[in-house]
Amino acid sequence: MKDIVEDKNSLLTALGKQLLSSSLTDASVQQATEDTPNFAILPWVNVVKIGGQSIMDRGRSAVYPLVKEIVANLGQHKMILGTGAGTRARHIYSLAIDLGLPTGVLTVLGTAVAWQNAQMLHYLLAQYGIPFIEPEGFNTLPHYLMERSAVVCQGMPPYKLWEPNPATGRIPPQRTDTGCFLIAEVFGARKMIYVKDEDGLYTADPKKDPSCRYISRISVQELLALDLEDLIVERAVLEFMMRARNIHEIQFVNGLKPGQLTAALNGDPVGTIIYKNGDKR
Amino acid sequence: MTFRDFDARHVESSLMRESLVDKNVIARTDGQVVSILPDVNIIQIGGRSIMDRGRSALLPLLEEIVANQSQHRIIIGVGAGVRSRHIFSVGLDLGLPTGALAALSAKDSAQNAYMVSCLLARYGFVYLEAPLVVQLLPAMLAAARGAVFNGIPPYSLWEHPPLLGKLPPHGSDAGSYLVAEVFGARSMIFLKDVDGVYTADPKSDRSAELIPHATAQELIDRKLHTLPIETVVLELLTRAKLAKSVRVINGLNPGNLTRALKGESIGTLISK
Repeated sequence: MKDIVEDKNSLLTALGKQLLSSSLTDASVQQATEDTPNFAILPWVNVVKIGGQSIMDRGRSAVYPLVKEIVANLGQHKMILGTGAGTRARHIYSLAIDLGLPTGVLTVLGTAVAWQNAQMLHYLLAQYGIPFIEPEGFNTLPHYLMERSAVVCQGMPPYKLWEPNPATGRIPPQRTDTGCFLIAEVFGARKMIYVKDEDGLYTADPKKDPSCRYISRISVQELLALDLEDLIVERAVLEFMMRARNIHEIQFVNGLKPGQLTAALNGDPVGTIIYKNGDKR
Repeated sequence: MTFRDFDARHVESSLMRESLVDKNVIARTDGQVVSILPDVNIIQIGGRSIMDRGRSALLPLLEEIVANQSQHRIIIGVGAGVRSRHIFSVGLDLGLPTGALAALSAKDSAQNAYMVSCLLARYGFVYLEAPLVVQLLPAMLAAARGAVFNGIPPYSLWEHPPLLGKLPPHGSDAGSYLVAEVFGARSMIFLKDVDGVYTADPKSDRSAELIPHATAQELIDRKLHTLPIETVVLELLTRAKLAKSVRVINGLNPGNLTRALKGESIGTLISK
């Protein structure tokens, strides 16, 4: 085999030699990568996810005050603003499921809805010099964040047809909550804030069950153990939080209440915080 | 028709006002899935196992692909290989996160896929980047004889954090399999440098035995020390709707691919 590995190749670290000589499916190789250092690419950036059904679909009454609050924070905080999809995604998922289309196709369709919402948010923020960037344009992100303090992107991860099937049903399991979380994780962001239309996490859907209880702070382990029927966030986010190396807590605020986003950006414990217990890394 | 409640505007649908995180809502979304390209075969050419060996391994295999193309329509996903191992080593040393490693590694498999497409260009194969797979694959297949794509899925910075360590879990095996699953392909064949899945690593353990057939769950439960395909493919198989089996064969032995395309039992068949 034409390998570039040789025993006396002093350019490689010990881990490098192991990577070149073993199978990547080997658990001992994976274990060896566990103790490598973490470098935060954009440690000062805040990822803010604006809900689709919860904020964007409400139109002016919800979106305008939030835009005003975002603009007011531009001088103090740098933000990646990702958008959710919402009711049009529910419509096209339901239509596409009826037509027999697979999860990967539903992902392509749902991405277009999150993209529309991101475009609309971008139109409202354009006069402040805030750009919309596609996943392929993320290399320009540091420049825009330095110059303009914020960018708008669609929240869906760019998996397209490659979205894995869910365990049950056909709705893409990794949607805009997950896409934004993964942006925060890969850049080692300062905060991951979800802006929705509830004060935070409840034991059930407060829109449907008035007897539900409010939870202001909970570990991801406890939350998973509760095995709730419904959640404020996609389950994939909780799963990935358990394995994350950079993001140790995520915060949920009510975007319909002016000041909540600002408080979260300033580090105040508003809304609900889900944190990871006992992180050894 | 649109509805207003709680000041939100809704479009009428069976999922209207529903939480897509609600388990009961999710359970309602199952049902029949149609196959988009039912006659297409997806084959994956391993990076380290085939591509890195160069001419002696690759050219006979490509000849065999071309020879089969009149009977079996083939789309080829290509893996990354040793250059990715190298950049993982440098990237990990620098402290880069999993998503950055995934973005870097995808360029290695893109290079390999591009080389394969150059070698097959005269037979009418085209190279398609991920956006073109989404938009143009069916049209390209109607016009061209075959297609080559980057086996690594376009997850890039959005790659999942792995359960253990920092290596990207979705490589070219997972990406090729997901193409087979979403299009409902006729078959998914992995071409490697071993005869299939063994009870131990056949390169280091002489007592290793070939497993001719197993379910994905059986292989997950056996917790084999190494596998010729990415572990995540087994997980994906347990959730398959269309691509309910994959075959792992030795791409270094002439005739294996032809036999696998005919549906003969060769190598290891892993089913849902």
